Amino acid sequence: MTATSMSTERTAVRPDHAIGRWLASLFPDGEAIDGEAPLELVAEAADPPKLAQATVIEGRDLRAIDVGDTLEVAIAAFLDGRQESTVKMYRPGGVPIVAGTIGAVIRERRDRRMFTWSHRVDQRIYVPARYLNDADRWALDTSGANVRDTTAGTPDAIEHPLTLRELARNLVRNDRESLEHALAKEWCAVETRPLLIDGGISAAQPIARSACAIGVVKSHRTLYVQGDALRATLGLEAAQRTSVFSINPEKRAPVASWYLRLRDRAGRDPMWGLVRVEVSAPAGRDDIGARADEVSRWILAEAAPLALPDGRWDKMVYGVRDCEEFLRAVM
Amino acid sequence: MTIDEPVPTPTALGRVVATERKPNTPHEFHFWTALDSPVGIGTIVRAQGDAPVNGSIPQIYGVVVEGLSYTDLATPLHDVLGHDGAPTAASLAATRRAEIRLYSAAVLRQVPEEPLQPVPMGQVFLAADEDVAIALRMDAYLRDGARTGIPIGVYHAGGTDAPIYLDADFLIGPEAAHLNITGVSGLATKTSAIEWIMSSIFTHFPAQKGSIAAVCFNVKGPDLCFLDQPGTIDDRDSALYEKCGVPATPFENVQYFAPFKSDGFSLNTLRSNDELTNNVTPLTWGLREVLQYAEVLLNKDDVDAKADALIDFIRERIVDRDFSDPLLGNKRYLVRSFADLEMWFRDVLSAMENKGNEGWRTHHVATIRKVRNRLSNISTRCAGLVTDAGTVSDLPFGSFQDRTVYVIDVASLEEDAQDLIFARVVTRLREHLEKRDLGVNHVIVFVDELNKYAPNDGQDTYVRKMLLDLAERGRYLGLVLFGAQQFRSQVHRRVVGNSGTALFGRMDADELATPGYAVLSQAVKTKLATLEKGQLMVRHPHFTQPIFVRFPRPAIMRGRDGIEKYPQSVDIDLDAAVLRSLRSLDPSVTLNWVRDAIGIRDDEEVIRARNATLRERPADVKKFFVSQLKPVVAAQPAERQPAAAIRSAPADDPYGF
Repeated sequence: MTATSMSTERTAVRPDHAIGRWLASLFPDGEAIDGEAPLELVAEAADPPKLAQATVIEGRDLRAIDVGDTLEVAIAAFLDGRQESTVKMYRPGGVPIVAGTIGAVIRERRDRRMFTWSHRVDQRIYVPARYLNDADRWALDTSGANVRDTTAGTPDAIEHPLTLRELARNLVRNDRESLEHALAKEWCAVETRPLLIDGGISAAQPIARSACAIGVVKSHRTLYVQGDALRATLGLEAAQRTSVFSINPEKRAPVASWYLRLRDRAGRDPMWGLVRVEVSAPAGRDDIGARADEVSRWILAEAAPLALPDGRWDKMVYGVRDCEEFLRAVM
Repeated sequence: MTIDEPVPTPTALGRVVATERKPNTPHEFHFWTALDSPVGIGTIVRAQGDAPVNGSIPQIYGVVVEGLSYTDLATPLHDVLGHDGAPTAASLAATRRAEIRLYSAAVLRQVPEEPLQPVPMGQVFLAADEDVAIALRMDAYLRDGARTGIPIGVYHAGGTDAPIYLDADFLIGPEAAHLNITGVSGLATKTSAIEWIMSSIFTHFPAQKGSIAAVCFNVKGPDLCFLDQPGTIDDRDSALYEKCGVPATPFENVQYFAPFKSDGFSLNTLRSNDELTNNVTPLTWGLREVLQYAEVLLNKDDVDAKADALIDFIRERIVDRDFSDPLLGNKRYLVRSFADLEMWFRDVLSAMENKGNEGWRTHHVATIRKVRNRLSNISTRCAGLVTDAGTVSDLPFGSFQDRTVYVIDVASLEEDAQDLIFARVVTRLREHLEKRDLGVNHVIVFVDELNKYAPNDGQDTYVRKMLLDLAERGRYLGLVLFGAQQFRSQVHRRVVGNSGTALFGRMDADELATPGYAVLSQAVKTKLATLEKGQLMVRHPHFTQPIFVRFPRPAIMRGRDGIEKYPQSVDIDLDAAVLRSLRSLDPSVTLNWVRDAIGIRDDEEVIRARNATLRERPADVKKFFVSQLKPVVAAQPAERQPAAAIRSAPADDPYGF
């Protein structure tokens, strides 16, 4: 058996110490930072949890629905991305120079084993160009490196080093999502088989409109239910879903969504094993309920094997963990 | 392959990996493969470095000694949880867990040899035929013009079927020598392997190294009794023979030797069927042959310094010497047999008693009685081998033939007799090889059950000392020991330690747990414990690691089949025994002729005449045989004398008679 990739792109990824040496040669007066924790591990000021509005499009009220006990294996591939960003040097004024590595992969399942369908890995330097002095900016511009300005489009970004680091982390995340979207588009352009994407699909129009893309959201800082609907959602039993509702966020594509309980939550918190599924919004008279049942059964079929030892194993399907492990190996 | 055909590029089957916890070293490396790769324990692989060293890409040859497989599971409990405790649910899971086949290989050779570095990262390939030759350093002795390779079997892995060669210089000498094979009983591996290797040696032994013969001691059953009879082999075996360039035929020249049973005329061997006795020769020795090895038969309690001195005296001054002594009234003795010796002892002791002497020529009467008792007993204990009459029928020392197997069947003999045969035959072989007059330059001596004859513990016996001497000095003489045993750990360390080549068949787990196998990985031990029939693990001085090979079934009739096809002759009477012996020399001899010739002579005389005939192999068998019998005065009918009348009757007496 050999894994065949449809396309694989990988720019030269320098190891940490090499980036440090490169920056030291670029800025002889600077001091390379070694051993700094990745920005992804540094606690960030999280957005406060919130309840958002959604319109139920399957029936009138949101309720719990059994999806049936016949599991179906239909998902052909899984997509996930990974990012890693670290401050490698501080320039005068505490201006951070961040090295960010982003990657995304689609792992296709063939004969119950996972193979790489396509993957991309990229490395970039993230700097708040506005706060760099001219010499530093010039040095970076002429270095040949892929440099990203974290302050572009954020005119109100203050000079606080923590803010600048956060800007870098956010841009790295955006770049990673772009990479994921690019791969998802590739898949949807040539495949009709279902692709399970870790996260929402509404951020990119072509994906949000594609019938093959299925987004599975594990985090619930924003809940699209409240009141009785919230109680019905948190009261879902294993293999139950909510009625389908429509999400139409600002600047994003509308999608159909529902909550699905993957595992019996007895004795655990209400969100244990709870995921939110996103698929393309129904067109015309599509029976969105039947589609939600079908897709839910597909996702439930991925509940085993467990994604352990990942701490999010209650919500994570094994295929996504496989993607993460792959990216961890190649990044 | 023609010139136009492209040379196929080998496909990598693995990649070298190393971590801080599991680093590569100059002697070991690790690699992973696809799940369906043909790699297993014992597979020879070639790792190719990515970067050149001193201008050449390093090639590292290794043999797989350990294998690991694991998944991304942190604990088995996660699998249980994932399938709700139902094993059948696991087969329904949409995705199989990521898993790895991770192998460790012991380095066989690095090219270039210097600088010796840890194995670099790179691709791993299945070793092709030429890789196997390089990996095992066989290229050094398979060169044209200096070829000393002896095929031992075929290494098989994936699509590779490579013959494995031993170096004759290290198998037969003089660089190293001897071969030892270990394995559990009952699989016919040890004997079969020895038979196969002897065939291979006889075929491939380099002409420039001279001639070679084998002396095999058949110590149990009919194992070696049909070496000249064809056996059945299958296509797979035929392919192995062809691959190794060895003809799939039985041995052409085999000579069997067996003592008689205690009756003195029936051969004590399972090869006694009339159809096969043409190359079976009796093995009988007399006083002179035995006395030199008295130590073999007499334990230390018997042979103290005083007894030893008397035996030396007898050996040097009595046997085969014209001997007289005033004590014996100047009677002249010519002691040539146990019977003569017994008469001599009787006369000496009688004379001492008559004169009231306690000693004679510094020998105390008790010592003389003791030695008499022990020596006289030998012909009884070794009846059939040792004859009272001193008849000698022996191996053809001095006229050994090239590529000939001499089998001595000692399977049915008592332990004493077996020991005596071992000791004398091996000693004579050594003596002749030292003098270069044996008839061949090299002799392989095959001894089974070495743990019995050269045990690691127990008392020091003559046979063990002899085997130690053979193991330590034999290679200089061309005398090579091929030993076999079930438990290598129970054989004397110097015997197995001096064995340059070691073969291992299927092994017992208890034996593998002994310290001698500590150098083997657990996986190799497991493979050894489950080896199929016809597979061996080989250690040879040129191989830095043990190698697994497959060898063909010998093209020789198996002992069990031989016994069925050629059942042992039932015990026969003396007439028939003589007929059988003489008919092998002269087919015109008939049973009636034998009976007429023997007449009323006693058994001992007939056997002596038969043995003399067999020994001399005269042109006129009948005449010679009869000449060996004491003449018998022809019977003449007594003429009846007419009885004389008490008183003559008057001529005219009408009542007279």
